[in-house]
Formats: sequence, structure tokens, C-alpha cells
Amino acid sequence: MSRLIGLGGVIAYRALFNWTSPAMFTGTLLASPLFQLLFFAYLGRQLGVADDTFYIVGNAVLSASVACVFGGTMAVANERRFGTLGHVLLSPRSRTAIFLGRVLPYALNGLLVAAFTLSAGALLLGLRIPPGAVPGLLVVLAAGSLSCGFFGLTLGAIGLRFRDVWLVSNVATSLMLLLTGVNIPLNRLPAWMGALGDLLPITHAARAARALVSGQGAVPADLGAEAVVGLGYAVTAGVLLKVFEAESRRRASLDTL
Amino acid sequence: MNAIEADGLRRTYRQRTGWLSPKLIETEAVRGVSLSVARGELFGLLGPNGAGKTTTIKMLNTLLIPTAGTARVAGFDVVRQTREVRRRIGYVFGGDRGLYDRLSGLDNLRYFAELYGVPPREQRRRIAELLDLVGLAGRERERVEGYSRGMRQRLHIARGLLHEPQVLFLDEPSIGVDPVAARELRRTIADLAATGTTVLLTTHYMAEADELCDRIAVIAGGVIRALGTPAELKGGTGTLEDAYVSIVGEVQPA
Amino acid sequence: MSAIGPGTTPATTTGVRAERAIAAGASAARVVIVGALLHVKQLSRSPFEIATAFIVPLVQATLAVYLFRAGTEPHLLLEAAVGAGLMGVWSSVLFGSGGAIQNQRWQGTLEMLMIAPRPAVLTLLPVTLANAVTGTYAMLGTLAWGWALYGITPDFRDPLGFVAAAAGCVAGLGMFGLLLAATFVLLRNANALTNTLEYPIWLVSGMLVPISALPGWTGPIAAVLPTTWGARAVREAAAGGPIWPSLAACLAIGAACLALGTLALVHVERRARVTATLALA
Ligand SMILES: Nc1ncnc2c1ncn2[C@@H]1O[C@H](COP(=O)(O)OP(=O)(O)OP(=O)(O)O)[C@@H](O)[C@H]1O
Ligand SMILES: [Mg+2]
Repeated sequence: MSRLIGLGGVIAYRALFNWTSPAMFTGTLLASPLFQLLFFAYLGRQLGVADDTFYIVGNAVLSASVACVFGGTMAVANERRFGTLGHVLLSPRSRTAIFLGRVLPYALNGLLVAAFTLSAGALLLGLRIPPGAVPGLLVVLAAGSLSCGFFGLTLGAIGLRFRDVWLVSNVATSLMLLLTGVNIPLNRLPAWMGALGDLLPITHAARAARALVSGQGAVPADLGAEAVVGLGYAVTAGVLLKVFEAESRRRASLDTL
Repeated sequence: MNAIEADGLRRTYRQRTGWLSPKLIETEAVRGVSLSVARGELFGLLGPNGAGKTTTIKMLNTLLIPTAGTARVAGFDVVRQTREVRRRIGYVFGGDRGLYDRLSGLDNLRYFAELYGVPPREQRRRIAELLDLVGLAGRERERVEGYSRGMRQRLHIARGLLHEPQVLFLDEPSIGVDPVAARELRRTIADLAATGTTVLLTTHYMAEADELCDRIAVIAGGVIRALGTPAELKGGTGTLEDAYVSIVGEVQPA
Repeated sequence: MSAIGPGTTPATTTGVRAERAIAAGASAARVVIVGALLHVKQLSRSPFEIATAFIVPLVQATLAVYLFRAGTEPHLLLEAAVGAGLMGVWSSVLFGSGGAIQNQRWQGTLEMLMIAPRPAVLTLLPVTLANAVTGTYAMLGTLAWGWALYGITPDFRDPLGFVAAAAGCVAGLGMFGLLLAATFVLLRNANALTNTLEYPIWLVSGMLVPISALPGWTGPIAAVLPTTWGARAVREAAAGGPIWPSLAACLAIGAACLALGTLALVHVERRARVTATLALA
């Protein structure tokens, strides 16, 4: 009981999304990303870094990250929080499949958030999105959300090693602001940062989405890159969870994981 | 004037459960408790889990407002004159929460000494005394997160005594405390009562209640089932435990 | 056994009464200061709090530096660093205050705080002040980071003024935090605002984006936010300008928040005693 509460306190600090509460959902997942978008759009305008389109589209794609990264982390962390991790890891069904499956709802949620942020941001700042680009955009947003979810799952698995799962996701989501090229064009960052950005989810999806909105048509290369990144995290998460499972069986120490 | 005077205390909890179709659950935790405790008396409150002991204590120590009834502690009304009441009471509850885990025991005591209005000049002496009393001297600079359960409990007790309260509420103070320390704790409690502190104690240890209490109320299902000195409850034969079991045995478990 | 504290013997003369009032004021000040220091200690020992207070602002500072460099005004790097630091202070106040009461409840310390013979404000102000103080880690970290990595020398126009402005800003935001803390428990679901209020306040208070670049209707909102004036005082100390009027405005608004928060807390406490929400069930 006290373990649950202790963790609860930490989670509530920043990462608790009581998604059962409509107010929480609206505030955290819908309003926050929109304000974030506005913040960077005004900052970008003021500094003359890039135009509104750059910021609106980029931040809209990124807006899925909070829902998906924390969601993916939660898929692992909640198991531990409620003391059910042992049961899940020891259940006869494929653990990896269970966890990967758990990411899907969060990714879907992220897609909704991103679609909302893009529409609202475009309306508020007066960006016209060509109707023909919409189907392509949905695919791109979905790819970004999914790879974010797997990224979150990987972080959740890593978080199992630390006392604090949420710390990892908090830092990761803020790094995504910096490294995904959503707010600073990647060629303005040092090369190593840009390279890191290429390994993160969202980076390629954001590039693809921008190309679509500016009417350059489909961009299979970027979309493919995003898919590869997502797949990479899915595999990594699967491997990590397997390793931890084996380890925890050996040490019979699921509780102290 | 009695130190504690409760008259027809009642307390109902309302809880909402479920978010799809919220339901209101009402629990009548305390259903008309009246008791008076004389100054310097050591009064025991016994009863099964969920009987309403903690709820009664929290109404008396101002943490809960009674649904009905009135109570006075040290002559002050517990609903309206909270400041006056709080100056004069100490509260110790069992369990390992309620402390600042990342602070040392000493820092915890310093903070609460300040909060509870111990004059700055007396704080150092008072804290040292209490650390000695509860056997934490020498460990006071360690962080509470490294304390054992019993050590935390001792720290709770020290905190409750910081401001030399006139009335002390002890809600299962001996939980998790080892036998030697529990005996010392009983001696401390007896000493406090002997020097004029009024003590209201709940415990699940019959021997503890028997040894310490001047009078005992057995509460079950939110009402007092029996009240008297340990000797009266035992009725000449058997142990307090026998008496307790026969009293609460008649009642449905909560 | 003697009862301690004022009010146990009747006041006789005005002189005694005045003395009492002074003693009570001193005692209240002590509670707030000692309390805030110990809460800072408690917060500073949490790896989670420290990491969020340090790492996230550094990432934001890096972001600000590259943004300003990429933009048309690379000479404003010091302002970018200071602005990023201020953002960190606000995050700390917001998340700390949003959870101030809730966290004490989770730790089981809320009951022990409320049972103290003090007005609720004296037991909770230290918590929100502590969050503002730990927020200065973000400011210091950001400045050090900018200096070490990007050669942004913190050559403030008015170094002493900067310290004063930062301290005043912390005090003002701590008092604002108290109002937030009280409001968040008073209104059901208001804690949803915690996550929501981070960016809008950064934006509207002009921490990185000048207020003049924003739509006109945000002006009045900015004018009543202590964050706006605190940020302005700090920036003026760094870049030059009249610090004191802004600082005074920040503290005055903070004091008004403190007064409102005090009233709200009386209500909060009473309600919590009715609904049994001081402790976890
Ligand atoms: N905050 C609360 N909300 C709802 N119900 C509560 C709450 N606190 C206590 N109750 C209920 O009130 C009843 C009395 O509880 P109380 O804690 O007073 O019992 P107790 O005698 O102290 O038991 P124990 O020996 O287990 O400590 C129980 O049925 C309990 O479930
Ligand atoms: Mg109890």
C-alpha cells in the first residue's frame, strides 16, 4: 500500500494522466500541446527562425509524443505500480505481444491528439492545409504516434531498472523538443545532435508532414524512415522486456525490479 | 472540568465510487459516542477493526468535524475553537507514514517543534530529552527513510510530545515497536498520566490496555458496548481478552 | 505540565499586547522560514525533483540558445539563458504548488500539519516557497550551462539588482503558488490545470517572447500575473532598466495572492474536515 502511494506521489508530480477524468484529458492532452504550439510559433516568428507552417505542423506531429511516450511507459510502469508485473511477466501468453499490444490504444490516443492539435493550430494561426494532403497526413501522424508509443515502451522497460520510470520519460519528452527538428531546423544544430534526432521518433514524421502540407506530395522516404525507427524501438522494447523477464525469474525478485 | 467531554458524537463518511455511474456510499462509522475523561486519566478505547476508534479520535483532535454531537477538549469546542484545542493536544498514530522521509529524525522534530509553537530557546533541550526518552539518541541525524518501522513509530511518539500537550491522543502507538521498547513506551505513557497528562489510547493489545488504562471503553459498530475499569470489565474472573471477546462477540463484525 | 504559547494568560496592558503581537509575528516568520528551509531540504534530496529541476531546464536552455542563434537576434543570448531559467522557476512553482497539498496528503503529513496550532497558511506557504526556491536551481543551472558550453558570460548590468530581483521573484511566485495550491484543491478537477498552465504562463509573461509580439488581448492578463513582473525585474537587472518598480509590482501582486490564498485555505481546511480528505482513507 505505501509503495503504491509513494510511487503515486511521484507520478502525480507531472506525469499522472488520470485519463478517466475528462478535465484531465482536455487539460493535459489537448490544451497543453496547443499552448506549446502557440509558444513556439510566436517565438519562431519573433526570432525569424522559420515560418508558422514550420512550427504548426512540427509541433502538431510532436503533440502525440506526450500521450504516446507516457502511455508506453505507463504500459510497463502500471504493472509494477499495481504489483501485477510479476503476473504479467510470468503469464504463459507471449509477454512481448501483451506489451506491444498495450501500446496501441495509447498510439491511437496520440493520433487523435495530433489531429486535434494540427486542426486547432491551423485554425488559430490561419494555416491552410490542402484537402488532398489530409489522408497522407493521417498516415504520417499515425506512424509518428506508433513509433512514439514504442519509444515509450522502451523507456518504460529501461525505467524498470531505475527507481523512477517517470524521470526517464520526462527528460525524453523534453529532449524531443530540442532534437526532433520540430522547433529548430536540424541543420542549425551541431551534427551529433542532428544525428541523435534522426534516431528519435517524430523527426521523420514531422519532415514528411511538412512536405505534405506545403504540397510537395507524398514523401515515402521520410515515412519509411519513421517506420524503421518505430520498428527499431518495438524490437528494443521486446528484447529488454524479455531480458528482464528472464532475470526476474532467475532472481525471483519481481517486486524489487 | 473534564479533559475530554464527548456528547452524542456521530460521523458518517460519504464516498463516491465508480466513474461511469457514480454511486454514493455512506458509512456510519460512529453512531452516538458519549464519554468523559478526567484530567490525568488514562482512558482506553478498544474495539475490532473498523469499529470507529480512529474516527472518534479524529473528531476529538479537530481533524474531522462530527456529523452530529459535540465535544470539548480541555474545555474548548473541537469544531469552532480549533486553535485553542490544538495548542493543548498531541496526536500519535501508528504506522510508518506521516514523516518527512528524506529529512533526518532531528529535522523532523525541529520542524514540528517550530510548528507546534515550542519556544525557540527550549527547542534544543526539549528535542534532546525526547530523543533520549524514545531511544533514538545517536540516530537522530540519519534520514527517516533509513529508519526501521519501530524507529519511525518512536519518532512519531517524540513528535506528539514535543509541546508537552495536556491531552494526548495515541492511536495504536505501539504498532511495530519491539517488546523492550513497547515496555518502555508503556512506562512513558504511565509516567505522563501520573504527571497530569490526559491520555486517550487505542490499542489491539489487551495486556497493554489492562496494564495501563484507568478506564476502558469497548466500541464496536460505532457505539460503546461497555465502559468501566479493567477490573469491572473482567467482572472478577478471566482476562481482559476474555471480557473483550465476550463483549464484541455479540456484535456483528463491521 | 504547562501549556505553552500566547493566549494562556489574559492580556493586561496595551504594551503587553503590542509585545505579544510582535512575538506572534516573529514566531510566524520563523515558522515560514524554518519550514521553507526544511522543505527545500526534503525536495532537494529527491532524485526525481532534482533531475526535473535541473535536467529539463538545461534542455530548454539549450533549445533557447540554438533558437536565438538560428534567429535574427543572436546577440540576445544572455536574455535567452535568463528567460530559460525563469521558465524553470515557473515550472517548479507550478508543479510544486499544484501538488503541494496532495503530496503532503500522500506522505501522511497533511494531518500533522493541520493539527498544528497555526493558521493553515503558515504551514503551507513554506511548501510553495520551497518550490520557488528549488526553482532557482533551474536559473543557476541554466546560467552556468550557458557560460560553460556556449560562452554566454553572465555580465549583468546590475549584479546586486539581479540577486534582489531573483529573490523577490521567488518570494512573489511562492505566494502566487500558495493561491494556486489552495485553488487547486478547492475546485474539483482544477489539478488538470497543472499540466496546462506551463506554456501559457511562459508565453504571456514574456519569459522568452517579448509581450509586444503577442496579440493585444493578452496584455491585461500579463499585467496581473506576478510572473510577468518578476520576469521583467530579473531581465531588467540582467540587461539594464528600472528593476525596482517591476519588483515592487511582483511582490504586491504576490501579497494579494497570499491574502486570497489565506482566505481560500480557511475554507479548504474546513471542507477537508467535513469530507475527511486530510488523510487518505
Ligand atoms: N476516510 C474515510 N472514508 C470512508 N470511510 C471511512 C473513512 N475512514 C474510515 N472509514 C470507515 O469508517 C469505519 C470506522 O473506521 P475507523 O478507522 O474509525 O476504525 P478503527 O476502529 O480505527 O479501526 P482499526 O482498528 O482498523 O484502526 C470503517 O468502516 C471504515 O471503513
Ligand atoms: Mg484505527
